[in-house]
Amino acid sequence: MVQRLFFAFLFVGALLGTGHPALAQTPPPDAAAAAAAVTEIRQTIDAAWKDVQAYRSGGGKPATPDHPALKWHATLWAYREQHPGTEAAARATADAIRLLVRGEFWEQAHARTEVVGVDDPAWERLSTAIYEEGSTRKDFAYTLATLSRVAAATTSPTIKSAVLLDVGRARRRQGDLAAAKESLAASRSAAPGSASSEEADRVLYEITHLSVGLPAPTFSAKGRNGKTVDLAALHGRAVVLVFWSTT
Amino acid sequence: MFVGVSVDTNLDRLDKFIKEKAISWAQLADGKSFDGPIPKLYRPNGTPTLFVLDRSGKIAAKLESAEKIEESLQLARN
Repeated sequence: MVQRLFFAFLFVGALLGTGHPALAQTPPPDAAAAAAAVTEIRQTIDAAWKDVQAYRSGGGKPATPDHPALKWHATLWAYREQHPGTEAAARATADAIRLLVRGEFWEQAHARTEVVGVDDPAWERLSTAIYEEGSTRKDFAYTLATLSRVAAATTSPTIKSAVLLDVGRARRRQGDLAAAKESLAASRSAAPGSASSEEADRVLYEITHLSVGLPAPTFSAKGRNGKTVDLAALHGRAVVLVFWSTT
Repeated sequence: MFVGVSVDTNLDRLDKFIKEKAISWAQLADGKSFDGPIPKLYRPNGTPTLFVLDRSGKIAAKLESAEKIEESLQLARN
């Protein structure tokens, strides 16, 4: 009996030592609980957006008391307060405010935004909602003031990268390409490898190489029919380049 | 003229589609989806994405999403 137990220990030890997937891939209980909480909050968030979508397609107007964004925002915000500091709470926070923005409840959206600390991971998603605020109102004053404040004060590289990306997008929409490029480059270098850093890189490339009026990048490639398409040789004709997929 | 760049990974399926729909304009595809050299040059965010190039080879417009494309074609027709 003792010997069998001993071998069992050896076996487990060997699994741990080799990083065997049977053990290594089983998350600790609190990580599993956190993942379950995220799944649950995502379902709530999905339900909220479906409701808002249905309200809008049914002709519902923004900024009216029966807008479903208000109710769902309250649900998500309550979740945030009950589960502070969790990944699920970060998602709940960002979508609670995004719902207010979509419903055009500006004052409530601003009031909620003010209490989200600069190092709150909610900013990684909230940033885009604040961009949307400016984009919908066609006035980026609040967007730029808020996101710049967070960018300057946060100690999190990923939050910094996320908010600077949206500062860049806002500057671009304002037509200030020099300022946009500066913010995007800062976003890119703040957290290399992060999703916002990669998006900043993509937008920078777009501004630098794909803006209207710039010479289109040229290429030469063989088509499915065997004939070569040389874009440079097509000058003199207008061309519509269609990126598509059968699926 | 139209030049298609397909991001399909299944080229047999694409060829079949081209044949079935009798698409006459050139179709470029290497099966590498968005990682192919042409998508890497134009970095479309998704499909469909259209780039309109003028006679001098400059970018005249970039159109994304089916609704916007339809809207623009409508405008061009009017």
